[in-house]
Amino acid sequence: MVETRFDELKRYVRFGADDARALLAFRAVAEPHFVRIAREFYERIREHEEAHAVFTGEEQIERLQRSMVRWMGRVLSGTYDEAYFEETRKIGRVHVRVGLPQRYMFTAMALMRVSLEDVAEKEAGAAAKVVRTALTRILDLELAMMLESYREDLAEQARRRDEFEAQSLRSDLARTLLLHEAALDASPSLIVGIDPRGMIRLFNRAAQTITGYALEDVFGAPFVELLVADAARPKDAALVASLLAGTLTQLADESLLKTRSGKVRDVRWSFTRTDDGGPEDIVLFANGEDVTDTRAASRQAHQHEKLAALGTLAAGLAHEIRNPLNGAQLHVAFLRRALEKKLPEPELLEAAGVVGDEIKRLARLVSEFLDFARPSALTNKRVVVQALVTRTLELTGPLAAQAGIVIVADVPPQELVIVADGGKLEQVLLNVVQNAIDALSPGGSGRIVVRVRRHPRDVVVEIEDDGPGLPSPNAPVFDAFFSTKPTGTGLGLAITHRIVTDHGGTVGVESRPGRTCFRFTLPIGNESAALEGESA
Amino acid sequence: MDAKPTHRPLVLVVDADARSASLLARLLYTDGYDTEVTTDGAAAVARLTRNPVPDAIVTDFHLAHADGLAVARYARSRGPLMLVFVVTGHPNALSSAAGPLDEPLHVLTKPLDYPDLLARLVAALGAPSRA
Ligand code: HEM
Repeated sequence: MVETRFDELKRYVRFGADDARALLAFRAVAEPHFVRIAREFYERIREHEEAHAVFTGEEQIERLQRSMVRWMGRVLSGTYDEAYFEETRKIGRVHVRVGLPQRYMFTAMALMRVSLEDVAEKEAGAAAKVVRTALTRILDLELAMMLESYREDLAEQARRRDEFEAQSLRSDLARTLLLHEAALDASPSLIVGIDPRGMIRLFNRAAQTITGYALEDVFGAPFVELLVADAARPKDAALVASLLAGTLTQLADESLLKTRSGKVRDVRWSFTRTDDGGPEDIVLFANGEDVTDTRAASRQAHQHEKLAALGTLAAGLAHEIRNPLNGAQLHVAFLRRALEKKLPEPELLEAAGVVGDEIKRLARLVSEFLDFARPSALTNKRVVVQALVTRTLELTGPLAAQAGIVIVADVPPQELVIVADGGKLEQVLLNVVQNAIDALSPGGSGRIVVRVRRHPRDVVVEIEDDGPGLPSPNAPVFDAFFSTKPTGTGLGLAITHRIVTDHGGTVGVESRPGRTCFRFTLPIGNESAALEGESA
Repeated sequence: MDAKPTHRPLVLVVDADARSASLLARLLYTDGYDTEVTTDGAAAVARLTRNPVPDAIVTDFHLAHADGLAVARYARSRGPLMLVFVVTGHPNALSSAAGPLDEPLHVLTKPLDYPDLLARLVAALGAPSRA
């Protein structure tokens, strides 16, 4: 019988039945640690930008943590046959597909090794040494097999490149384009050439960098299906079809690009239809500009302009409103005094009281508005994000419980420290959580999750509820005076927005019936640099 | 007859809005204070050159000819312990205009909370005997 590659590798590292038995026995004591290890593993990934970039969202990360737990169980399963080998290669291919750089596979495996050996040291007693040897062997095998997938991928890339070059030479137009390849690659715009069937035939370097795909990945693949995000696909499919059919020859189109890892970016395409050619010639050029960052920046700038104008207005308005309120309040005090003496009727006194209360309410609105429009400067200090969350829950928990609402914190085990104005951030958290409570209260039940995650450069905070959702997903909730509550001033979220952006962060909301999620990010920043001004 | 001498502290009320000023003066009067009213800064300063020096001043910040801070400063030169309340619709602008020498400065935000003002007067000057 021919020795398989797996058997050959096993023989090489001297992996035998004793090792298998040792691992299986170890599993019983190691299992309670799996969840913790999986969690620590992904916490570490969050600190590395290129590794983190392959993730598309928190749901995926949670799925992965479960996969890791299963994987640890597999590694300690005691059975290492061909099916096991095939499964490992499959896992390897998943990582190639998501574009995880190979070097992270090594470091990640080293991390798993340290964690598992640590458990062996503490829990395996006399067998510790045997278990550690077996672990070293099986994890080396695991790594070797996963890297096999990367090797296969390289071979596949090389094959496709050959095919690509052979095809290129067959076409005059493409040959000319090859001559211009350097120029195309120097362009900061995405440049994509498309054939009469809508397949990609040209894909410059900017396109590769921005989408995360290599030329070999996209060559011959359909442009619309591969690169246009779901939300924009029907529209773009129709436009590209018209262009290919020749009914349109020029077109500018704002669209959503889907990257290899599933992220979405704003792109402004300009399409140009050229003369007809052969079935593999390029007949349509798509020239795209990635406007994601400029979009965000201009939204931010727009918001700042609005705020500056508001600040000026606010100061004047506050003055104009408080003056007449002052007169009114004094008159009410006078009226009450006169009533008490001459006409001590409870109804009249109460009426005067109502007027007084309404005046106070107006005065409070003016103060809140000034807070929003002319906020005081940030006083930055070291802030532990988890502590902020704990405090928010302490303050809001009892009220929520009365309304039948459960609030839970989902925060990372490691302390997250940022430099920020803790008081103002607490105001933000309280405000958003209170909004969630208000949204759920009429239903008499519900659940709010306050989630904190570390990303390479930011802390991401999400406040999610399972309430009815916003009246419309595009409701301008962060605009001043937008309110869905009968007694709201409409300034709470506007102040929230202001505080977060003053910290250099971003704010967003997603809402559909059954799930509303406010998300804000705060830059982690450089602690010592940010605090320098403080000691001076 | 009561043997205690009547104790009626004097409060100067300065406000460009004559109606508010006289109403405040009336309220204070019923609560046991003697009052005088002026409606611009210069007139207030002029009043302060004369005796008797008031025990307290309640002045608006925005005034013609001399603002509330100027009135407060002049009042201090007449009586360093004089109680001065500056009333404003824009407390931030006032605190940035005031300097350390203006302390202690009592800033009240409009709309004026009359019971609160009264409590502070009583705390500082003692309870007056009613008219
Ligand atoms: C010791 C190293 C690692 C092991 C054992 C491992 C294990 C696994 C397993 C078992 C799966 C599920 C595969 C499937 O769905 O069939 C998976 C998927 C995945 N892994 Fe890893 N992984 C490792 C390293 C990493 C690293 C360093 C990253 C980097 C960020 C990463 C990112 C991912 C991603 C993005 C998926 C995607 C799958 C999805 O969307 O469901 N993995 N991994």
